[in-house]
Order: sequence, then C-alpha cells, then structure tokens
Amino acid sequence: MHGTVMDPPSAAPPLVAAGDTSVPAWSLKDVAGRTTLLFFGYTSCPDVCPTVLADWARAKRALGSDTADYAFVFVAVDPARDSPETTRRHARQFDAGFLGVALSDAEVATVTRDWGFAVYPEGDPRQPNYTVAHPAHAFVVDRRGRLRLMLRPGVRGEDIASDLRRIR
Amino acid sequence: MRISRAISVASVSAFALGLSGCSGGDAAPAAAPTRASSPLAAHAAWSRSADSGATAAVYFWLVNRSTVADTLTGARSELAEETTLHVSMEHGGTMHMAAVASLPVPAKDSVAFQPLGAHVMLRGLRRPLVDGDTVALTLTFASGRSIPVRSGVRLP
Repeated sequence: MHGTVMDPPSAAPPLVAAGDTSVPAWSLKDVAGRTTLLFFGYTSCPDVCPTVLADWARAKRALGSDTADYAFVFVAVDPARDSPETTRRHARQFDAGFLGVALSDAEVATVTRDWGFAVYPEGDPRQPNYTVAHPAHAFVVDRRGRLRLMLRPGVRGEDIASDLRRIR
Repeated sequence: MRISRAISVASVSAFALGLSGCSGGDAAPAAAPTRASSPLAAHAAWSRSADSGATAAVYFWLVNRSTVADTLTGARSELAEETTLHVSMEHGGTMHMAAVASLPVPAKDSVAFQPLGAHVMLRGLRRPLVDGDTVALTLTFASGRSIPVRSGVRLP
C-alpha cells in the first residue's frame, strides 16, 4: 500500500455537502457499496490537486471495467471561491465520472473537526491569490464505509489502482 | 512562522537540486538564434489544460550550462493576470503552497520544476489552455538574463 494503512479500520466520519439550487446535496453515504477515494483541495490549486486528480484518472483507466465499483470524489474546501457547480465541472475535466463536491464554511468546520485535519487560507484571504492549506493525503473508504488508507500524493495511477483492488 | 517557511523552502529547493541529474553539455537548447549564447534553458516545459480564469502550473527542467551560478527571480506571461514562482511542500500531513521570491540555479546543474514541487503559477488565465496549445512565458534571472519558454499544453 502506498500510504498509511488504518489497522484496524474504523468507520469513516460523516461527509455531507448541502449543494445549492443548481447542484443537489451529496453525502458519503451516497457512495456506500463502492470503494471511495476522497481528496480535499480547491479548484484554483494549480499543482498538487490537479496532479492527484490526473493520477486518479490514470488509476481509473487502469481499473478498466471494474470502475463502477469505485467512486472518485474531489471535495473543495475553499467556499469563498469554489461553488458546487465550479467544483463539479473541475472534477469532470479529469474524468467524466469523477464527482466534485463543494463544502460551505460551516461544512468545512464540521469536516475538519470530524476528520481531524486542518484547512486554512494562507496569504490574505481578501486577495484573489491566497492559497489554501489542505490535507496532503487522499482518503480511501471501503465499500462498508470504513476508512482504510491514507494515500500519499505522487503515487502513480497504476499503483493507486493496485491499492484500490486490494481494499475489500 | 515566516522563518520556518524560509527554511522549508530552502530545503525543498535543495531536495529538488538533489534530484537533478541532467547537467552537462549534451542538452543543447532549441532556442532562437539570438538566444543561442544563453547558458540557461528550460527544457520539456509542459502545463495541464485549464479553463479561462483558472490557475495553472508550468513545469520544466531549468538547465544552467554556465560555470557561474544564477538565481531565478521571476516569471512573466501575458496569458495570466499574475505569474509567480511557487513551491508546494508537505508538513505533518498538510499540503502548503508558498510563493517564493527566487530559486537558485547552480552552475553546471539543473533544477526540476515538477508536480508537487517548484512550479511557475499562472493565476487568472486570460484564455483557456487547450490540449496541444502552447504557453509562452519568460523567466528572468538575477544576472539580468531572461529566457523564453514555450510550454506544451496536455490534457489534465
């Protein structure tokens, strides 16, 4: 495995995005039964987030015909700049099957508390060029809703696919 | 905080230098004739496709064939509202991206600008970057030199 294996695994914390008038609400429960990759980032992240999503796209291709068993979810944690529609469109640029979900300020506060990671703006958040500190790892939740792996960034798509196949 | 970040950036760039391995005289840059005398060149530049208004990164190998070290001090492009040097780094499980004022380019060596590390950031793209497209930018150095870079755009 390419990252930190959670052993024994425990139930993944809840993850809920209310959406808005154009994008329906989404919950981690919606992908129950599928092995799910989650990455928390922001759409104006030029380096790490698109690198992760591009590696996911390769992983999904490597999984071949099994892809219905997996969900790939990019979760935006930059409510000031990322709308639900912006985020959905961003994720689909990497693969039409990827989900893009945007969190509100209140949802970011809930998720960072429940999942135990930090998200905060760096630079002046009143300026358009601030950046966002976000988790480095992608989280892998198994089909039973248990957190199984924290996948480090920079892992090749083929290796991600191999890890996902091993998570039952 | 500010001091620790400066140290972190220094260590990241040192790490990038440690990875470099294409120094030497075999990498003749395919530059315009007027630039042929420059010992500095950016090779294999690429960017991911991106929407208009989005933020993108440019990656390349920066080669210095000179026996004199130089320092990359800036980048500019008419394609974006803002063009800056950035370094991504991880601390304790959290990913950060910091703007840096400069990055050293040692003599007879090369520096990797690559995903999850140093990159040129184009913020506020004035047009979309499409697969097969080319991004033109200019890198400027403490020595006063500047070099053009043509970055190929590929699918994200």
